[in-house]
Amino acid sequence: MTGVSVVGVGMIPFGKYPEKNIADLGWPAVKAAIKDAGIEPKRIQAAYSGTARGGAMVGQRILGRLGLAGMPVVNVENACSSSSSALRQAVIAVQSGAYDIVLVIGVEKLSKFGGGTLPLDEDDWEVRLGLSMPALYAMRAQRYMHDYGVKLEQLARVSVKNRRNGALNPDAQMRKEVTVDEVLSSRMIADPFTLLQCCPTGDGAAAIILASNTAAHKIRRDPIHVRASHLTSGKFMAGFRDMTSPEITVRGAHECFEEAGLGPNDIDVAEVHDAFSIAELLYYEAFGFCPRGEGAALLESGATCLGGRIPINPSGGLLAKGHPVGATGAAQVVEIVRQLRGEAGPRQVEGAKVGLTHATGGGISGFDHGACSIHVFQR
Amino acid sequence: MVTRLCGHAMEIDAGGRTVLIGGACRDCGNRAFPRAEVCCACMSEDIAAEPMPRSGTLYAFSTVHVASKKWKKPMRVGYVDLPNGVRVFSHLEGELAIGDLMEAGLGIVGEDENGPIESFVFRKAAK
Repeated sequence: MTGVSVVGVGMIPFGKYPEKNIADLGWPAVKAAIKDAGIEPKRIQAAYSGTARGGAMVGQRILGRLGLAGMPVVNVENACSSSSSALRQAVIAVQSGAYDIVLVIGVEKLSKFGGGTLPLDEDDWEVRLGLSMPALYAMRAQRYMHDYGVKLEQLARVSVKNRRNGALNPDAQMRKEVTVDEVLSSRMIADPFTLLQCCPTGDGAAAIILASNTAAHKIRRDPIHVRASHLTSGKFMAGFRDMTSPEITVRGAHECFEEAGLGPNDIDVAEVHDAFSIAELLYYEAFGFCPRGEGAALLESGATCLGGRIPINPSGGLLAKGHPVGATGAAQVVEIVRQLRGEAGPRQVEGAKVGLTHATGGGISGFDHGACSIHVFQR
Repeated sequence: MVTRLCGHAMEIDAGGRTVLIGGACRDCGNRAFPRAEVCCACMSEDIAAEPMPRSGTLYAFSTVHVASKKWKKPMRVGYVDLPNGVRVFSHLEGELAIGDLMEAGLGIVGEDENGPIESFVFRKAAK
């Protein structure tokens, strides 16, 4: 199997761009990734584009702007894992030997919905009855707080940390630091979440260029190797399930670590799916960065802050960088690649050699989540 | 009784009590709510309509302040675990705590252009 590396990354700052359409958002990220790779654009042989709510033919619409259409383009929808799932397909394509150089795009425009919670599909029974993403994560938080005695202030510290990181990231949507008091006194969304414990609604785009290892080493001296690439879907359970442990991520992490031949202690930096404050604590535990029930203690120890043992979400994560759903997975890769190259400026994790990205989502009845994609990168 | 929101997933019995109607697979015994056309455990399509137990234990809940216009807000929603192994997502009413014994009833949970929206609602069971 051919090894695969990242040779170029690019993104636009996440934010609100009501005047732009999805192609307007996407092309600058693609152009930036091509420039970063320093390759002739025509060398790209196929493209995989992820968006959750962007509509049909988004990859073609973006590539058309740049005169790059005419190659195979695959459009991928997998909720919050859309572009990380597109990346998975791109990795498989290069591994198979079908292509040497491929492009991955993640793009979303949520400002078109005019704010409020992410619209979900009312064909789904629980959504029809009123379930929303904040409500789903809020129930996880309530049960977690009940089972492990975690306090509101401890949840709020996730937002405080990630906003502090976001303040150091010019690509982040929220660039102002906040205090625990400010987090807790912001308006209530779904108990226990106040506004500042929910990722903001916004727009964004990110792009990645992959190459076979052979091609990659001719393109640049510091390609970032894809050590593991993993995608799975949730398991449907009509009965009871433990909402304090995300089944899909626990399983995905285990399988991904096995594929990489690595364990949680080998990870130097990670971008995980902190859509709401509780999520980051659940994912510390799901990845084995700490035992069950000790997520809040791990955060309070400083281990997951910049300068700590295992910095999590140095970009600001979804809570500060923003969460234009389909763009998130690709943007996580942009951050990890910059970290592994030593290009992250004031938020650089010193000496980072191995990084992980994790995008999971899709609120549907009977599932923990619909999709989860995890990647491990190494310099 | 067929409510606009819940369709055939609930009935009012002869005693005026709200009963949720789920499905029980005649081939493998797997239960689900609401009733599905195909069994998620064995793919059988032979699924009997089955009244669900009327009370269960509150697993988790949240009071939600931001949601679609049609819902009465703040709205309380949560998961109730029934003794037959089925978990039900439901609107809830009253002051509640995780672990409370809950009982199914009927309530108005919102309003849209067609009028009030009626649904099954779980409340704390009378002692």
